[in-house]
Amino acid sequence: MSRPAHPHAMAPHKPGRTRTAPPQMPSTWWSAPRIRNYLLFDATGIVYYLISFLAIGMIQALGRGPEAWNAVMARMQHPAYIAFHVLCFVSVVFVAIRFFSLFPKAQPKAIGPLKPPPGNVIHAALYVVWFAITAGMTALLAGWIF
Amino acid sequence: MAEKTIVITRFDPDKDQAPRKQEFKVPCEPDWKVLDAVNFIKDELDGSVSHRWSCRMAVCGSCGMMVNGEPKLTCKTSINDYGDRIDIEPLANFPVVRDLVVELDGFMHKFESVKPWIVRAKEKAADQAALHPSKGTYSQSAEELATFKQFSMCINCMLCYAACPVVANEPEFLGPAAIALGHRYNMDSRDEGNAERNAIFRGEGTVFSCSYANECSEVCPKNVDPAAAVNQAKFEAVIDWAKNLVLPRGGA
Amino acid sequence: MALAYRAGVPLKDMEFVQYHPTGLPGTGILITEATRGEGGYLRNNKGERFLVDYDYGVGKKAELGPRDMISRAIVQEIEAGRGFSGAYGAYVHLDLTHLGADVINFKLPFVRELAKTYVGVDPVTTPIPIRPVVHYMMGGVDTDIHGATILPGLYAAGETACVSINGANRLGSNSLTECLVFGAAAARHAMTYSKGAAAGDERAVIAQCEEEAGRVANLRGRKKGGEKISAIRRELNNVMEASCGVYREQGSMQAGVIATAQLRGRVADLRLEDESKVFNTEVITALELQNMVEVAETLAVSAAHRKESRGAHTCKDFKTRDDQNYLYHTMVHHDPAGPRLGKKDVVLGKWVPEERKY
Repeated sequence: MSRPAHPHAMAPHKPGRTRTAPPQMPSTWWSAPRIRNYLLFDATGIVYYLISFLAIGMIQALGRGPEAWNAVMARMQHPAYIAFHVLCFVSVVFVAIRFFSLFPKAQPKAIGPLKPPPGNVIHAALYVVWFAITAGMTALLAGWIF
Repeated sequence: MAEKTIVITRFDPDKDQAPRKQEFKVPCEPDWKVLDAVNFIKDELDGSVSHRWSCRMAVCGSCGMMVNGEPKLTCKTSINDYGDRIDIEPLANFPVVRDLVVELDGFMHKFESVKPWIVRAKEKAADQAALHPSKGTYSQSAEELATFKQFSMCINCMLCYAACPVVANEPEFLGPAAIALGHRYNMDSRDEGNAERNAIFRGEGTVFSCSYANECSEVCPKNVDPAAAVNQAKFEAVIDWAKNLVLPRGGA
Repeated sequence: MALAYRAGVPLKDMEFVQYHPTGLPGTGILITEATRGEGGYLRNNKGERFLVDYDYGVGKKAELGPRDMISRAIVQEIEAGRGFSGAYGAYVHLDLTHLGADVINFKLPFVRELAKTYVGVDPVTTPIPIRPVVHYMMGGVDTDIHGATILPGLYAAGETACVSINGANRLGSNSLTECLVFGAAAARHAMTYSKGAAAGDERAVIAQCEEEAGRVANLRGRKKGGEKISAIRRELNNVMEASCGVYREQGSMQAGVIATAQLRGRVADLRLEDESKVFNTEVITALELQNMVEVAETLAVSAAHRKESRGAHTCKDFKTRDDQNYLYHTMVHHDPAGPRLGKKDVVLGKWVPEERKY
């Protein structure tokens, strides 16, 4: 593009223009019920950040041998860790539900001759895939397959 | 009739360093909209209160304000949805010119930048033939119209910009209404300007800044669902980019 | 209109005002004609389709009849005591319930939205309260077919103009013609004119601008004034509704002439509070009101002088059209002493005026 699309878009005032008061965030941005879901959605990022450290720690313990691994496993019995895992689980479920509800309407109306199925079909399919993968992973980890 | 305290944000660039609040006691009728209360203040209590309004039937899109922190089209919002104290501020995320009046230049520029008109690749001979009334001027079927009709219902009230957390943090973001409008023309069967608009969508103020908070669609008074448009536009912009990468001249 | 009028261009046919039969009481929000086009009924307080059950001259057209006749029928129905009474005056019902939710949602979604939001009524289940509302000015700045006025270089098109495609009554959607066809014609003619025109006297233009700027500056924050904008606007509403409404009478129109002349005097002494030079909407409102009062006066004067019934101008005292004495355009010229009336011949073209019979 030869020129920026919007050189002074919503910026504070420029010299030679009428003096304006700078843009404000909505005064209730942190408390509005409308925005709460979105803030929670974004806040789950912190949870994933923390659990990634935990996962790295566990892999390291695994590398150090059975004793270190068992020690980590014992520590995981602590209520604080259990609570943290519950929080992780809730976060994942929340994000999945929110994402699944917004996903269908973001689909293109058509890709060439292909038209996406109706929104509620996409919505249902996401849940089916989610549960199928969860069941498969569970079966794998529980040793039912190998 | 119920007396309510209406708190109006005042700002006169000639006098005030920063916006301030002023309270008015207003005898409100039960069938009033919030705009009626602001008009009552202007008519009867203080003629210096400045705000924009025109059609008072939710088609012109000029009376958007923050009502108790929420972006609202005040002519469509019943006064009885609120308690005895109503806080009315100018739309968030916009510079304030005066009282409840916000600066529109940036918004207008974004609107213009998405080329919100029908772009024809090869105007002239073929089009002149197509333009002949007997062939139907740029005829379009009901199905073709249905693909974008929803996005054409926008009244440019800018509530979505006041609600968007991305606009709040990235003033250069094209924003919900402008992207929805550009996408509306991209979806239009008569239009051939997709490549130009997709380049704009990938450029500065990119559509990919959108984090799909869905706030815009929550506050939209005309059920346009700009969040859907923006996220569809992301997909189209990526496909367009991939085509340009793989195929000569984008497969055109 | 007021700008052209003060500049010496006459206003033409100002007495012809179109009422739209279906507006919401109080707000005046328009409920589209399409409601009747799709098969909506007008009903009185007995539930009767009064356009069918009583003879209002609309005949078999019933709800599809012209706007002026249906507006008059509604007023008569209300005067006969068969209307409903509400907080914003009497009204009748626009009944769409028999159309069903599917037709309303598909064909009339905006009507449903408006009725729900502004009168709290869902047209799928409940009739909409409606009454005639002022809709369109057939009259306006007198222009020729190019949109040009008698003042060289001044052009007008659209509702503000009177190029006389509407005559004394307008058909729906002809405002589009006025804007698109005559707007384009005016622009083309103006372009040609300005190319051939002399440069003009710059000093005279500057002097004129300064005078106008002075007028605005005097108005801004005019705290010495004694008249309130909102009060005069309300009075003007009431005067015009009472004197030049759907039905007009000599007595009330004469009262309207006197009342608007008085308002013209009072509107010069407005009180304004806003001193700011930034987005001062109070000054705009004041200028608008001064213009409105002036235009209203030309309307009342034109209406009072036309002692016949023609098109949208319906006098109770003179029920028929009088082509002998009144087959001409009413012209109003600005004069410091008050509006001065004049006449202009009607170009009849292919058709000879006939009595309207359905």
